[in-house]
Amino acid sequence: MAVREFEITIDPAGFVEVHVKGYKGRTCMEVAKVFEQIVGEMRSHQLTSEFYEPEEQVQFRIDQKT
Amino acid sequence: MSAVCILAPVVIAAWPALSAAVVAAAGSLGYQVAASQRVEETAVSDNAAVRLELERSEVVTSQLGRDQRISVTKDGVTITFSRDARGRAELCVTGEGYEQEQLRAMGEELSKAVIQQYVFQKLQDEMRARGFNVVEKEVMEDRSIRLKVRHWEQ
Repeated sequence: MAVREFEITIDPAGFVEVHVKGYKGRTCMEVAKVFEQIVGEMRSHQLTSEFYEPEEQVQFRIDQKT
Repeated sequence: MSAVCILAPVVIAAWPALSAAVVAAAGSLGYQVAASQRVEETAVSDNAAVRLELERSEVVTSQLGRDQRISVTKDGVTITFSRDARGRAELCVTGEGYEQEQLRAMGEELSKAVIQQYVFQKLQDEMRARGFNVVEKEVMEDRSIRLKVRHWEQ
């Protein structure tokens, strides 16, 4: 199970800064779009190195004990 | 960390959500909620009143809700929020013995706080609805509100 985390700062005038963590590639921008729908107009966004990493592939291994 | 976004708030609210934000913001700045009153009925001279608009706002309301307003007071200053004819939220700041600039500054301070409280409430509600948990909440010295939100995905 992946943990996603956001740090949100609402300044005294209501402007919002969101640090989106734990998402890679395009999913990161999809999450940013969700915040745009909730708050309002996107003024700027800055991508960090993690954005350019390949999108995650999650694998599960289940061992059955008898 | 993957991205940092800066968002400008847009307030599109029904009257109950807006008035809840006014009450929360007023409380944080030491105002008391006053009984509803029409600004036109208060006996103040024109130079003791300042009208401002809540930036990027729209109050969604029905015909019946047109006359809704809420007033808050502090130190002889009354600030009344209402919906103007274009549907925007406006505020009228009145107070005898104050300069126009003082009234304007008080109105601007409270209107910003109202927008902040509206955004805070909306973010909390929307995060909860999407199954996100607010794990930390802190009000900073400069009155910024900092939230840490976590989500577990399968």
